[in-house]
Amino acid sequence: MTIPSFSGLNTALSGLEAAQAAIDTTGQNIANADTPGYSRQQVDMTERDPLTIQSLSNVTGGGSQLGQGVDITTISRVRDQFLDVQYRTQNTQTNGDNTSSTLLGQVQAALNEPSSSGLSSALSNFWSAFTALGNDPTNQGALQAVLGAGQTVASGLNTLGNELTTLESQVTSQYNSLTDPNTGPIASDANQIAALNTQIAQAQVNGLNPNTLFDQRDQLIDDLSQYSNVNVTQQSNGMVNVSFGNAATAAAGGTTDPTPLVNGGSVNLTANLTDANLSGSGGTVGALLGLYDSSTGQGKIAGYLTTLNGVTNNLVTSVNNAIATADPSGATAPPFFTATGTTATTIAVNPSLSTATAPYTEAEAQAAGALRGGSADQSYNAFVTQIGSDVQSTQNAQQTAQSLLSAINNQRQSVSGVSLDEEMTNLITYQQAYQASARVMNAIDETLNTLVNQVGAGI
Amino acid sequence: MIGRVTTQMTSADLLANINASLDRIDTTQEELSTGKKINQPSDDPYGTSLALQLNNELGGLNDYANNVSDATGWTQAGNAALSDITNAVQRVRELVVEAANGTNSQADMSADADEVNQLIDQIKQDANTQYNGQYIFSGAATSTAPYEAGSNDAYAGDNGSVTRTIGPNTSVAVNGNLAGVLGTGQTVAGQPAGDGKLLNTLRNIADDMQSGNSGALSGTDLSQLDTNLNSLTGLSANLGAVTDRLQMASSRIQSLQTADTQVLSNTQDADMAQTEINFSTQQAALTAALQAGAHIVQQSLMDFLSG
Repeated sequence: MTIPSFSGLNTALSGLEAAQAAIDTTGQNIANADTPGYSRQQVDMTERDPLTIQSLSNVTGGGSQLGQGVDITTISRVRDQFLDVQYRTQNTQTNGDNTSSTLLGQVQAALNEPSSSGLSSALSNFWSAFTALGNDPTNQGALQAVLGAGQTVASGLNTLGNELTTLESQVTSQYNSLTDPNTGPIASDANQIAALNTQIAQAQVNGLNPNTLFDQRDQLIDDLSQYSNVNVTQQSNGMVNVSFGNAATAAAGGTTDPTPLVNGGSVNLTANLTDANLSGSGGTVGALLGLYDSSTGQGKIAGYLTTLNGVTNNLVTSVNNAIATADPSGATAPPFFTATGTTATTIAVNPSLSTATAPYTEAEAQAAGALRGGSADQSYNAFVTQIGSDVQSTQNAQQTAQSLLSAINNQRQSVSGVSLDEEMTNLITYQQAYQASARVMNAIDETLNTLVNQVGAGI
Repeated sequence: MIGRVTTQMTSADLLANINASLDRIDTTQEELSTGKKINQPSDDPYGTSLALQLNNELGGLNDYANNVSDATGWTQAGNAALSDITNAVQRVRELVVEAANGTNSQADMSADADEVNQLIDQIKQDANTQYNGQYIFSGAATSTAPYEAGSNDAYAGDNGSVTRTIGPNTSVAVNGNLAGVLGTGQTVAGQPAGDGKLLNTLRNIADDMQSGNSGALSGTDLSQLDTNLNSLTGLSANLGAVTDRLQMASSRIQSLQTADTQVLSNTQDADMAQTEINFSTQQAALTAALQAGAHIVQQSLMDFLSG
């Protein structure tokens, strides 16, 4: 058997095509160097089946195989699925810590401690005012000073209590808007992932490798992972199932999720966006529920409010008791705080005092002033310390999570990201490959020219 | 170690590092501008708790210091009144000794009696001394004058005491029991109560002078007056002791204030020199990061490819 005259042209052509595809892909990579979620692509090439040439010599027998060029098998994305899993886990953690530390920071800011305008200073002034009244119990000015200081304490507690209540409702409305099955971002992500699933399955049936759709879907799952834990299960038709919240944690442990948030081309929103599935999970949504869960009334902020109410109760009872029991003659003085207001939002100075004349004796005022450093001060101090420690530990956790997230993101970028230097090197390589293939084609053309036009030209 | 280094990694890392640098500078700047290293409880929860406690203690010490100065005012006013009364009693004693000789004419004796009666009024006026609008010798009934001018010597106050808290669980009585020395004198004009106290003795002396009874003057009157003078001196000594105690309390409070302020400053105040140095170090680091970033991010292979 002889070698077909034009086979070399085809070989050169395949080289040209492959080099062109590679140059185009490099162009695509460079164009998307900064596109979020983009994975760099590469042209997978393979040798074309060779042409077997019967040996012309009887000595060696067999024959030889003549290469026929290159085939482009596929254009694939470079991506490590395990890094995706790690990234999403860390993203869940980081966003949860972010949410906690931001909102707890707001609680801390409401305290305004340590400062000369915080509640601890107000309490200190309150005790001083009572002590001064003890030195001069009939002095109306000293009484007004006590009333003013008491009102400052009461309104300071009112404000703090209201801030905490407002924060609770903020947390709830944030949670509700995130988990809304119609307009929430979780629902939106889930719906888009399901739609992409359908398109990907369709494309794969047609034998395509939809890199762009894969990138988009991965990015949506990344986005979804900020809200709560996600667990991705690959399906045979190219679709993925995504479990969400506590169900994702269970699924990662090997339990089959009967109602994944994204189930192929469909979604299960109402089954997943429940308190039961999200409470105690990670991410923004889990953190919000940890701060305040409106269905149970529990959470960190609710705990703070309870502690603050304890502080208030302590203050009201200790002041009123000290006044009631101070006078040895057993004469009853009016309570300083209204007895019914024992929570942070209801504490108030007894209104009848504003018109009273010398309502407290020296002993009563001194007894109230002697409460400085007592249980009310101590419990408030402990309250501030508790919030301070909580904020500090969530901030530390948030910083650690953030640096871990960027480390994992770096690893992921190292695999999937576009390096312009690398692309430039590739570009030169492929450009030269293209030029070389063209040169080969030129050589064959000249050879054929010789054959066709020169051989036997004299005839 | 990461194999490939991509463009996004370099810029993301640079940005993260610059942000971290700025964050540190921000914290340092807050410390510099407030002068405190604890600006939120989370900066140092234990330190915050300590600072709150110390601030509260300082507030308490300030109260004690105010109480001590108020108490000192009371005892000083008391001492002044008592020494005035003592002088008056000494003058009466001179008159009594002079009258007891029996050489004075009745006219002189009557004049002496008038002077004694005037001195009695002066003593009652001294007993009515007020400090900060409060009667200091009226027991706990500080808004009631203990004695009224004129012949009625009845004591209108009570037996209560006025106390000032000068330390934790430490209080002192700042009013002397002057009524215990003065007594009730005569509650009905011309009829001494017979309680043997100073006013009673003085009324007796005036009566004896009026009647020219020099025997009584040199006998019971003089010895009674000496007894009364003794108890007056005792009361002065008592108040003096309270004043001493207040002075000691004042210096103790001052040293506690100094100690607490020092601990508070160590807990919450920034070390300015250290913070300034940190600040310039951090600023230098940021400048270096920015310069390096400007060079690294700009360059790629493209800069070196020709054509």
